[in-house]
Amino acid sequence: MNLIRWENTDPLEGFTHIQREMGDLIDFLSSGSKTEGYVGAEFPQMVVSVNKDNVIVRAEIPGIKVTDLDVQVADDILTIRGERKPNMGEGAVTYLRRERNFGTFARSIMLPEKVDAEKVAASYKNGVLTVTLPKAAEKKPKQIEIKKS
Amino acid sequence: MSNTEHPVVKKKKLAPDRCIVTGKGDWYYPLSDIYETPDNFTVVIDMPGVSANNITVDMQSNELIVNGEISQEAYTDEKLLYSEYNIGHYHRHFILSDAINRDKIEAKMSDGILTIILPKAEHVKPRKIQVKEA
Repeated sequence: MNLIRWENTDPLEGFTHIQREMGDLIDFLSSGSKTEGYVGAEFPQMVVSVNKDNVIVRAEIPGIKVTDLDVQVADDILTIRGERKPNMGEGAVTYLRRERNFGTFARSIMLPEKVDAEKVAASYKNGVLTVTLPKAAEKKPKQIEIKKS
Repeated sequence: MSNTEHPVVKKKKLAPDRCIVTGKGDWYYPLSDIYETPDNFTVVIDMPGVSANNITVDMQSNELIVNGEISQEAYTDEKLLYSEYNIGHYHRHFILSDAINRDKIEAKMSDGILTIILPKAEHVKPRKIQVKEA
């Protein structure tokens, strides 16, 4: 406990203290979890990339059974649907902290190129779904031979 | 569970209440749930993309430190068109109280989810007290 001499107390002194506390609080809230984008954004989060032959779509969906996932391609729309079940232990549990989301989700994205829907392959490893969509044949660059006449 | 510091842990400055980490690659703060059952506390952490052998769980004094590393070789000869998440390592740490039996902590990894089971110490477990007839 600090002793403060009576004549030194400024009535506004208290406000600078509050201001500092609020500043600290705002700093703390904005620095803590860097996942605001994750929670607010659409689930699952996706990365779309292309290489020479394929369009590759990756989605972070940790902790889902492959049987609960449904991947469909129609024309150039890829739809990922699924259900993430709450990770319940057996018996009565009391949650102390809850940041992870669960429930059903569905998300469709438009693919950047025409793909061959018959040859789409999907794999799930370490919580990341990877869908490999081979580009449709007519979209691949075709080398044209130049004949000398 | 060993007491030796993981090399990554050594390199980093750990602030007590927030995650400030430096090192190779980006670091992310994974989402986690904590729940309590009569015998255990369970911490569930989402770490998509990390395999079981790239995870380290360390006890350092009273801190439980979880690091998940991701190999950075992804996206070779691919052109990224659209990216909603970045690839990076995960780090999170928790302060444990005396209510936890530290010798019996277990961790398992499946499908990008790390589950850490922290058994309660005997003295905090609920127990029935026998009522004797006097």
